[in-house]
Amino acid sequence: MTGGQVLVVGLGSPDRGDDAVGAAVAARLEALGMSGVDVVTREDPTQLVQLWAGHQAALVIDAVMSGRPAGTLHIREVGDAGEPLPTHAFAAAGRGGSHAFGLAGAVELARTLGTLPTHVTVVGVEAGTFAHGGMSPEVQHALDDAVATAAAELVALREEVQSCA
Amino acid sequence: MTHQLKDGGQVLNVGMLARVEGEGGMHIEFEGGRVKEVQLNIFEPPRFYEGFLRGRKFTEPPDITARICGICPVAYQSASTEAMEAICGVTTTAEIQDMRRLLYCGEWIESHALHIFMLHAPDFLGYESVLEMARDHPDVVQMALRLKKAGNDLMETVGGRAIHPVNVKVGGFYRMPTVAELERLRPALEQGRDDALAAVALVATFDFPDMEQDYNYVALRHPDRYSLERGTEVVATSGARFPVAEIPQHVEEFHVAHSNALHARFDGGMYFVGPLARYSLNFDQLSPATQEAALQAGLGETCRNPFKSIIVRTVELAYAFEEALRILDGWRDGHAPSVPVAPREGEAVGASEAPRGLIWHRYRIDGEGIIQDAQIVPPTSQNQASIENDLRTAAQQWADLDDHTLTHRCEEAIRNYDPCISCATHFLDLRVKRS
Repeated sequence: MTGGQVLVVGLGSPDRGDDAVGAAVAARLEALGMSGVDVVTREDPTQLVQLWAGHQAALVIDAVMSGRPAGTLHIREVGDAGEPLPTHAFAAAGRGGSHAFGLAGAVELARTLGTLPTHVTVVGVEAGTFAHGGMSPEVQHALDDAVATAAAELVALREEVQSCA
Repeated sequence: MTHQLKDGGQVLNVGMLARVEGEGGMHIEFEGGRVKEVQLNIFEPPRFYEGFLRGRKFTEPPDITARICGICPVAYQSASTEAMEAICGVTTTAEIQDMRRLLYCGEWIESHALHIFMLHAPDFLGYESVLEMARDHPDVVQMALRLKKAGNDLMETVGGRAIHPVNVKVGGFYRMPTVAELERLRPALEQGRDDALAAVALVATFDFPDMEQDYNYVALRHPDRYSLERGTEVVATSGARFPVAEIPQHVEEFHVAHSNALHARFDGGMYFVGPLARYSLNFDQLSPATQEAALQAGLGETCRNPFKSIIVRTVELAYAFEEALRILDGWRDGHAPSVPVAPREGEAVGASEAPRGLIWHRYRIDGEGIIQDAQIVPPTSQNQASIENDLRTAAQQWADLDDHTLTHRCEEAIRNYDPCISCATHFLDLRVKRS
């Protein structure tokens, strides 16, 4: 991997219901065979801090819970070019055990350690269940939209990297 | 959260403990300047693992019990495979034992690196969390992430996944990793060993509260190596020494009202399992380099100050890297990944040394291999009485501190144990009373 590549991370556990959506979308993006893109999947968000190092741009796909209907898509830019996340978003990360360390904690730890890419786009897919087993019908139904949205964001990130190169 | 009581008493109450795994709180009550009552409250809901293991096949516990914990799944896998193989009268090969030990090294590295640097070090360096600590000590946090990643990669290579490994079965493994796959890990393991040895000196510079406890340490003992994945005997500071199979005759579990995790007694008394116990009972089996690092850090061959557990944990972290490299050095391709295991009726105990201390499982299966009874005893539940005793001592010893500082000191006394409350609450003896 090099800094000229956009890093795509599908985050989440493949066995816990809609938490599998990150890996599912990442696999579909990888199958597109886009140049200038590296695709990986991870379960442990703490690994993002090191994975991101040396990259100018990254895309993260993860399941989220905000109270909206399952399958709703969220897009958020959290890279080093923007403002830090509000404290409440990651306060639990350092004070809970490892279970409390999520994406927001990884973003802010990476920002502090200087490994947060300039541009990080998060595509979140609202989850309906984290129980053992497969994804909910709602999230499965949203999968095509999630892939299309993530691919569009990926193209934009790749252009960003190439224009800087 | 601290307030004066009308009767002149005083209550220190922390509803939700920070930087521990799982959900728990503490409650300390003073009366007339003396500690009256101490409770480690474990209110994380019970999880009933032992109940739903009954009726399952004898081959299933390594996968089912691994789900009890995302940080120490290998401890559960090792204890359950040991027990099932003992019931079925099967002895695995030296290579299978080596690979189990290597996988276990990965778990110790992941777990110890997480606790030492992310959860425990902020106590000594004066930060609320690792996120704040990273601003002033970025090198330490970078090193911690590197160490943890080395553990994750080792778990993934041997276990198939970094969290909840899927390559373990009764009788061995589904597949052995190749020399080529393992050799890819070598640079990170060598760097990790050097980093961890240097970190022993670093954590030894922390300022440690002065407190020593007269613990009855209990740990596994193996005839020729520091116990991780297994041991043949249980040894204790009290002088007790007996085969693993006899653990149930020495340990009694019991319920207390303020905890969803069962407490335990060893030969009728309180006891302590974990890194301090292993170190103090098995120091002679550490490697020369880790022994030297420990002694240079100011530790003796035993350690009874619970706050210094961070040094001992770092010594064990370095040892796990050394052991991983030693196993890599001797590894060759072509070994059978498992031995066949046919079920037979019986009952047995399996035990291993989880990052947090002795864990043991007892199973009874029938001739078809169906589980009739299961008992799982993880380290944190065994340590609850000892944690409460440390809280009592700390609260009394530092009763003159202001409430905020004393509360923090008491929380530190709990974090010394690296408690895993999610593990401890996997059981509860549920009884339904019908009138």
